[in-house]
Amino acid sequence: MKEKLKNLEEALAPISSGNTLTIGGSLLRRQPNAAVRSLIRRGVTDLTVLTWAATTATDMLAAAGALRRYEGIYTGMFSYGLAPNFRRAVEQGAIEVRDFSETAMVARFRATTQGLEFMPIKTLLGSDIARHNPEQIRPFPCPYTGEPLQAVAAAKSDFTIIHGYVGDKYGNVQWPIVRDSDDIDQMMASAAKRLIVTVEKIIPHEEIMKRPTLTYIPGNWVEAIVEVPYGAHPVSCDGHYDEDDAHLTDYLARSKTAEGANAYLDEYARRPAGHDDYIAMVGGLSALRTLDVQP
Amino acid sequence: MPENKIDFTTNELVTALISREIRDGDLAFVGVGTNGRAFTLAVGIPLTAVRLAQMTHAPAASVYWGNLLEPDLSSMPADLRQDSFTRWQAAACPSDTGVKCDMLARRAFDVCFDSGAQVDRFGNLNITAIGDYRKPKVRLVGCLAQPEHFAFVPRPIVVVDLDRRVFVEKVDFITSVGHLRGGTSRRDVGLSEGGPHIVVTDKAIFDFAPDTKAMRLRSLHPGVGLEEVFDNMGFRPVVPDEVPTTPSPNARELELIRQVIDPNRVLLRV
Repeated sequence: MKEKLKNLEEALAPISSGNTLTIGGSLLRRQPNAAVRSLIRRGVTDLTVLTWAATTATDMLAAAGALRRYEGIYTGMFSYGLAPNFRRAVEQGAIEVRDFSETAMVARFRATTQGLEFMPIKTLLGSDIARHNPEQIRPFPCPYTGEPLQAVAAAKSDFTIIHGYVGDKYGNVQWPIVRDSDDIDQMMASAAKRLIVTVEKIIPHEEIMKRPTLTYIPGNWVEAIVEVPYGAHPVSCDGHYDEDDAHLTDYLARSKTAEGANAYLDEYARRPAGHDDYIAMVGGLSALRTLDVQP
Repeated sequence: MPENKIDFTTNELVTALISREIRDGDLAFVGVGTNGRAFTLAVGIPLTAVRLAQMTHAPAASVYWGNLLEPDLSSMPADLRQDSFTRWQAAACPSDTGVKCDMLARRAFDVCFDSGAQVDRFGNLNITAIGDYRKPKVRLVGCLAQPEHFAFVPRPIVVVDLDRRVFVEKVDFITSVGHLRGGTSRRDVGLSEGGPHIVVTDKAIFDFAPDTKAMRLRSLHPGVGLEEVFDNMGFRPVVPDEVPTTPSPNARELELIRQVIDPNRVLLRV
């Protein structure tokens, strides 16, 4: 087995402006926020992102002006309302948006996983989602019955970034027995071309080997694994810690204007030298531990 | 006023009404909602209604909520932070949401609940954008699985407040295809039978005329007049000669809602 343990900056170094990124997580869970802050710090821009139910990671990239194009099922702030920076940029016409429904996005990742150019769906017949995206949602007749179907284009990205629970130095990532599974991180990982995973904790390989059924991302698929405690902050990592309500409330308040959001990014993404600095800025590990939940 | 009139809130009225729409053995999809009134409409009323149905006439009705199949609805948590979702007990929590998508596509659900920013005469729903899609006046959240609900679930129930900005002649963006342009237009694009079944609001209940598929007034809530309904709609619904009053919840239903299902008023708070 090949050792794949890197630091965050090394792991993300191959990503450059203009790339297409698949970003994991769902709603207020496991958004790879530490990785996104690092990309913003480095000034990576002109990105296309593919997401499931996106919140902070996508909204911060929008605030940084780093999003050229977005393809996903949802971008908002879940119980906190709409995503302020994403919304502002889209309303200004600054982001090229392609919406997909859940079965459509699942079909796109499954197509890539299986080495296919498309998957058939019939979810979007008659919908404006299809009407506005003739490039990636193309009608064709079922070769068996002749009924109308839609070929939805495979989800292809240069890099996939996922925040996971725990893993070993070889990149094997495991989920806990009790977790919130309302996401498609494993599917995104299996479709990845170059996969970078951040985890809450690196654990001994021997521990991984004892319970291989919990490995949802085999190290075989992974290019780099990084230990980033509280790497999803200010959202949650289910089974590890809850969302940081005070921080999210502050983020929303400051994101009422583009200037406010930019000042937030200066403070929490651009000025800190790295994730350790960020943790210090938000009160240190002792403050973050108050968000911890029973494993 | 009838004697011994029972007092109830509009939320309780529509919850009881929806619960009677749930049949024994139904599998109902409930989303995870947002906050405030939107949470009550998308999550609070639907979960309370299905639980009420389970406790009255439909013990075998079940729910798919978030990615939990048959979650325990007998005790609702006091808060809805992530860890409450993580620890919610359920019969099954499939390994990813693709399993739920597959169940939708193969028509495994009977009922679903949907809410939105706009709904039109033919029950098309918009949760994506207000105004021009490419440079919208208001960018909303996107799609989630709402297109799937209308495409594949036989009896979708739309739960929204009656409001002129919501009930528009034509939605700005068709996220979920309802009865499309009416008549057979839904079938003509290749979608199966179905489309929105009823529209439940704070003032009235609507269904869709069998032939034209235009939205039709089914009942008025107690104390609500026709003009009040028309004033809050951007189009005129079909109005039958006789418009009944929405049936009131009975004492047993109210007792279950208030004392057993939602004693802390987490679900029907606003």
